Amino acid sequence: MRTPTSVDELAALRRRVVADRASRPPKPVLVLSAGICGQASGANDVMRVIKRNLLERGLTDRITLRITGCQGFCEMDPSIVVEPGNHLYPKVRMEHVPRIIEATLGGFVAEELIYRDPLEGKMYLGLGEIPFFKKQTRTVLGANQKLDPIRIHDYLEEGGYAALEKVLARNDPAWVVEEVKASGLRGRGGAGFPTGVKWERARAERNGRGKFMVCNCDEGDPGAYMDRSLLEGNPHAIIEGMVIAAFAIGASHGIVYVRSEYPLAIKHTVIALGQARGLGLLGKDILGTGFDFDIEIVKGAGAFVCGEETALIRSVMGFAGEPRQRPPYPIQKGIEGRPTCINNVETLANVPVIINRGAAEYAKVGVPGNTGTKIFSVVGKIRNTGLVEVPLGTTIREVVHDIGGGAPGKARIKAVQTGGPSGGCIPASLFDLPIDYDSLSQAGSIMGSGGMIVMDDNTCMVDVARYFMKFLKDESCGKCFTCRKGTQRMWEILDDVTKGRATLDQLGLLKELAETVRDTSMCGLGQSAPNPVLSTLRYFRKEYEEHVVNKRCPAYVCDELVGAPCQTACPLGTEAWRYVAHVARGENDLAYQAIREANPFPSVCARVCNHPCEERCRAGTTGGEAVAIRALKRFVTDQADPLSFRPKRTPTAPANAPPVAVVGCGPAGLTAAHYLSLRGYKVTVFDTESEPGGMLFSAIPSYRLPHDVVRREIASLIDENVTVRCGTMLGRDITLDGLFEEGYGAVFLALGAHKSLRLGLPDEDAAGILPSIQFLKAWNLRGESLAHGRVVVVGGGNSAIDAARVARRQEGVESVTILYRRTRDEMPAFEEEVEAALQEGVTLLTLAAPVKILVADGKAIGVECIKNALGERDESGRPRPVPIAGSEFIVPLDTLVVAISEGSDTDCVAVAGANRIATSATGTVKVDRDTLLTNRPGVFAGGDVVTGPNTVVDAIAAGKRAAVMIDRYLRAEPLSVAAAPRLPEILVAPPEAGADEAVPKGRVAPPRLPVSQRERSFAEVEVALSAADASREARRCLRCDLTFTQRPAARDEVPELALAGGAS
Amino acid sequence: MINITLNGVPLEVEKGTTLLEAAQFLGFPIPTLCHMEGLHPYGACRLCIVEIGEGPRAKLVSSCTYPAEEGLKVRTSSSRVVKARRMVIELLLASCPQSKTIQDIASAHDVRQQRFRQEHEDCILCGRCVRMCEEQMVAKAIGFVGRGAGRAIGTPFGKRSEVCRQCGGCMYVCPACELRCTYSEPDKAICGGCANLAPPCLEKEQFDDLMCYMKPCVACEIPKS
Repeated sequence: MRTPTSVDELAALRRRVVADRASRPPKPVLVLSAGICGQASGANDVMRVIKRNLLERGLTDRITLRITGCQGFCEMDPSIVVEPGNHLYPKVRMEHVPRIIEATLGGFVAEELIYRDPLEGKMYLGLGEIPFFKKQTRTVLGANQKLDPIRIHDYLEEGGYAALEKVLARNDPAWVVEEVKASGLRGRGGAGFPTGVKWERARAERNGRGKFMVCNCDEGDPGAYMDRSLLEGNPHAIIEGMVIAAFAIGASHGIVYVRSEYPLAIKHTVIALGQARGLGLLGKDILGTGFDFDIEIVKGAGAFVCGEETALIRSVMGFAGEPRQRPPYPIQKGIEGRPTCINNVETLANVPVIINRGAAEYAKVGVPGNTGTKIFSVVGKIRNTGLVEVPLGTTIREVVHDIGGGAPGKARIKAVQTGGPSGGCIPASLFDLPIDYDSLSQAGSIMGSGGMIVMDDNTCMVDVARYFMKFLKDESCGKCFTCRKGTQRMWEILDDVTKGRATLDQLGLLKELAETVRDTSMCGLGQSAPNPVLSTLRYFRKEYEEHVVNKRCPAYVCDELVGAPCQTACPLGTEAWRYVAHVARGENDLAYQAIREANPFPSVCARVCNHPCEERCRAGTTGGEAVAIRALKRFVTDQADPLSFRPKRTPTAPANAPPVAVVGCGPAGLTAAHYLSLRGYKVTVFDTESEPGGMLFSAIPSYRLPHDVVRREIASLIDENVTVRCGTMLGRDITLDGLFEEGYGAVFLALGAHKSLRLGLPDEDAAGILPSIQFLKAWNLRGESLAHGRVVVVGGGNSAIDAARVARRQEGVESVTILYRRTRDEMPAFEEEVEAALQEGVTLLTLAAPVKILVADGKAIGVECIKNALGERDESGRPRPVPIAGSEFIVPLDTLVVAISEGSDTDCVAVAGANRIATSATGTVKVDRDTLLTNRPGVFAGGDVVTGPNTVVDAIAAGKRAAVMIDRYLRAEPLSVAAAPRLPEILVAPPEAGADEAVPKGRVAPPRLPVSQRERSFAEVEVALSAADASREARRCLRCDLTFTQRPAARDEVPELALAGGAS
Repeated sequence: MINITLNGVPLEVEKGTTLLEAAQFLGFPIPTLCHMEGLHPYGACRLCIVEIGEGPRAKLVSSCTYPAEEGLKVRTSSSRVVKARRMVIELLLASCPQSKTIQDIASAHDVRQQRFRQEHEDCILCGRCVRMCEEQMVAKAIGFVGRGAGRAIGTPFGKRSEVCRQCGGCMYVCPACELRCTYSEPDKAICGGCANLAPPCLEKEQFDDLMCYMKPCVACEIPKS
C-alpha cells in the first residue's frame, strides 16, 4: 500500500478499502471482547482455543475471528458476539468454543450458551434486544465491537479518518472550531467546559513557538474506566480526534497522557500511532497540506491529581504533579510556557462523529445545553455492571433500573454516587433527575468522568464518605494546606463517626470544614473533595445521626458499631454467635445459658421469632446463605428444661421498694415482671384472659407453638416475687388511679393489640365475615371452629397465614384462599410460613384486592375483587399496588377472614383515655421511645399496645427495657442512658476442625412434618434438627465475634505508651 | 494599566500585579504565611484568600497568586472570607500549635480554640524554604517529597544533599520555627536561629533537636529521634 500524499489519495485509499470488503464473500465473524477486563476474566484462553480450533479444522476461510477491545458488558466477559445476527454468548469458557463454532458454521444459535436474563431466564437472540444494550445509544462505544484496535484497516473499513479527510479537504480551521462550537460538545472529563470555546481561545493564542494538543487519559477515579476502554478498543478514533483538534487550534505537538496502569491502552496506542504515521496521517506536512503534527505518549506515574490540567502539565514537564493557580490558563501558558489545549479521551472520540455527521445532526442527540452521548461506568450493587452510553439528559432511573437491571438481590437501591471520589451521592428519591452537567451539580454531585457507583441498603453512607475521603487524603497533592489537612481532618471525623466516637458537634464541624475546603482550595480536586461528605450529610444525615447518637450502623457495615451482626440485629442483644459456637463445640448447656441470659422465652422464640439475626448474618449478606440460627436455637432449647435454669439475681431494689403492677400477661408483661423480680421487686401481673400468655396463646396456632411449651416457659418465670391475677381487666376491675392508691409504685401497660383492622367496605358486618384475631382466639382459646365451606382470607401478614392454616385444619372447610394485593415477594409473612401454607393446600391469589362484599340473606356469599399491577415504590420500599380498571372478578365464599393488620383494642383507647394516657391517631399508646414512659409519671407502656401488631421478640425487648426503666424510676435515677454498641466480649474458641469433615456449603433446612400428617392435625409442624445437622450447621458460622474477642487487649494502649516514651 | 476595585476602592495597577500586592498598597491587612517578598508566590497556606466576582460566580482565591484582571471586584474581608480564614487558622493551630507566628495570627483573628485532634507538627509545608533554596540560593538542595498526608520536605533520596551549602536560608525564612526563639526555658529562649547564619541545630547539646524539622536535617543529617 502506497502512503497517500494528498487528501485525494487518502480518499481513494479509503474507498478502495471499503470496496475491498464489499467484494469479499460474507463470512461469519466471532467477535471476542478482549480488553483488559476481558483478559482478566479469561479472554486470552478463549482466544487461544478459538485459534487452535479454526486452524486445526481448516476453518480459517469460513470463519473470521476478530479480537476487539472492551465492549462494555463487563458482567458477561469474556463474551463472544457472532456476526451476522449479533448473537451474544456471555461468560464463555474454553470448553464452550467448539459448540459456538459449530453453531456459527451451521448458521444456528447454541441456545444453551446464548445470553439469557439471569432472573427470568428469557432468551435474547440478538445483542440489540438485550435490555442492557437496547436502551443505549452507542455512538462512540459501538465501534469497539466493529474493529480490531491494532488494525488500521478495520478502522478505515468502518469509515475511519473520513472526518480528518473532510477537515483537511476544507482546509479551514475556523470552520472546525465553528462546527464543534455549534455541536454543543462539552468536556467529557468532568467539568463540562464547552470544547468549541476552548478551541477558539486556544486558536486565538498567538505564540510563535507552536502549541500543544494533549489527550488526557489519566483516569484515576475508582470505578471509572470508559477512557481506558476507548483508548484500548479504538485508539485511531482518539488519534483522529487529536489531529482534527490540532489542526483547528494550530498545534504542532501532540501528547497522549495515559496512566502507566493501562498497559494495553498504551500498547494499542503505540501501534496505532505507528500505523497512522505509516499512512502519513501524522508527521511533517500531513497529506501535503503543510500541516505538521505528531503525537507522543507520556506515561503518568499514577497520581490522581495529574488528571487536573495544570498538574498534568507539570507532570509532562517532568516535575511532580502539582496544580497551580489559574489564570493563566493552560491555553495561554501550558507546557513549556506554550499554549496547551487539553481534552479528555471521550471528548476527542466525539470529534470525528461531529465532523462526520455535522454539528446540527449531532446536537439533536441529548438536551439543549447538554448535547451528545456520555459513557458511564455503572458499577456497584447492580445487576448489569458495565459501560453504558446514553444521551445526556437521560434520567438516573433509566440508567440504573432499565439498563443496569436494578438491584442484584433483595436489598433496595438507595443511592448512586456519580463522578468518582470528588462526586456526590444522589438518593433514590431523586432518580428522576436527568443526567446532565447542571442538574448533577445542583444536586450536589458532579458528572466527573462518568463513574456511577450504585449503592443499596447494605451500603453505609458514612463508610462510603470515609472511603472516598481516605482516597482523597492520600491523593491530594498536598500543596494547598486546606486540601491536605482538610481531607485528613474530614477523614478523621468520619472515622470517628464509624467507630462511634463522634459527637453531634463534630458533625457540625465536619460540615463547616467541608465548606471551607470547597471554598478555599486551589484546584478542582480540593474544591470537589468535600462533595462526598456534603452530599451524604445533605441526603443521609439520619444515618450519620444513627451512628453518633444511637451508636448504630443501619447498614451493618461499620465494624466497631456492629460487632457481630446477629447480636446487634437481635432486639434482645442475644449473643447468637456465642450459642452457635457452643453448639459447634457440642456444649448444649452452655449454649442454653447464652440464650436464656438474654431471653426469658427461648423455646417460644425458637419457634416463632422472625429471626432478624438471620437477615443480617454475614454468611448470608456476603453472597451465601445465612446460618439457620433459629433452627439451632430450637435444637438447643428442645434439650433443656426451662426450670433447670437459675437466672442470676442482682437485687437493686431499695429495701422498702413499692410493688410494681404489670397490666397484660403477654411476652412483654411477663418479661418485665421476670426482670423486675430478679432485681428484687414484688410484681403483680393482671390479665383479662383466664390464663397468662397473651398473644402466645390467643394468636399463634398450636401447630407452630404448642401450648405446653408456652406453659412450661411461663411457669419458669413466675417465682415468689411475681403474682398473676387473671380475669382482671383494666377499666372494668381496676384503674390506674386505684393501682397507685393500692400502693403500687409504677405501672407497666402491656395490653397488646387485639383488634383487627376493617376493610372499610359496606356490609362488613354481614354473617360469615370474621376479624382474624376473633377467628384465631375462638379456636386457640375455646376450640370453636368458626370457618366452614369456602374460606377466603384477606391479607399477607403472618396473621393471615395463621388464619388460613388454622382454617385448613378445621372440620367443614372445603378450600382456603388467601387474597393479597401485591405479589408473594412483597408479603410481610415469613417465607417459610407461606411455603408451608401452600404445601398444605392453601391457594394464594396475589395482586388482587377486595372492592365489594356480596351479601345474600344477610350472609356473605362472595367478594368482588380487582386485579392490581405493581407501580412505583412507596415509602416502605415496596411497589405500590395499582388497580387495573375493568379487571373486576368475583370470588365466591362462605367465610371471609379479614387479616389486614391488627390495631390496638379500641377498648384500650377508651381505658387509656379514662386513665389520662395519651394515645396516637392509630389507637396506640404514646410513649417516649427510649424510656417507654407515657405522659403519666410512673406509667410505662410497651409491646404491641405501643407499636401496633409486632413480633414476639420486639415485645420481649420492650419488657426488658421497661424493667430497667422502672427500676431506675423507682430508685429516682435519670431514665435515659447513653447508647453504646454491643460488642462480643466472651471468647468461645472455635472447635478443632476434624480432618475428615469439610465445612458444609449449604444451609440446613429445618425438618418439617410430612404434609400428609398435617391434615386436620394441630401437631407441631416444624421439628428440631438432629445433633449431627445442628453441629454441621453451627460450623458454617463465620465467627464475626472473633475479631473482637481475640484482638489484643493492649491495642488502645499502644499509642499512649508511644506518646509517653516520646515525651520523656 | 489595569483597573480593579478593592473593598469598593477603585485602583489602577500595573499588569502582573497580584491582588495581595494591590491590597497591601492600599493598606488592607491580609494575613500570609507562605508568601514572602523575593520569592515566587506559591499559594499553599490559603490564609490570604480574598473574594472575587459577584453573585453566584463569586469565589475565594488566594490573593498572593491571583493576578489583577480588568474590572475585577475584590473583597478582602467579607464574611465568607473571614469565616473560611478562621477555619484555616483553626486547622493550622490543630497541626502546629507551637508556632508563634500562627498563634499571633490566631489571636489577631480572635480564634481562641481549635476543635480537631491536636497534633504537634513542626512544619506546615508552606514551601518557603524550598523556594528560598531554589530561587535565592540557587541550590535546589531540598524539595517536596511524597503527596497527600505523606508530603514532607526533604533532600533527594533522603541523603545529605551535595549542593547544600548550609547557608541556613531555609531556616531563616521558616514561619513555623519561631517557637524555638521563645521556648519555655528563658535562658535558652534566644537561639539566634532566625538571625544567625550558622544553623543552631549543629549545636545539638544546647538546643536539642528543636531546629530540626527535616528528616534528616539538610545540614547535619542527624536523624531526628
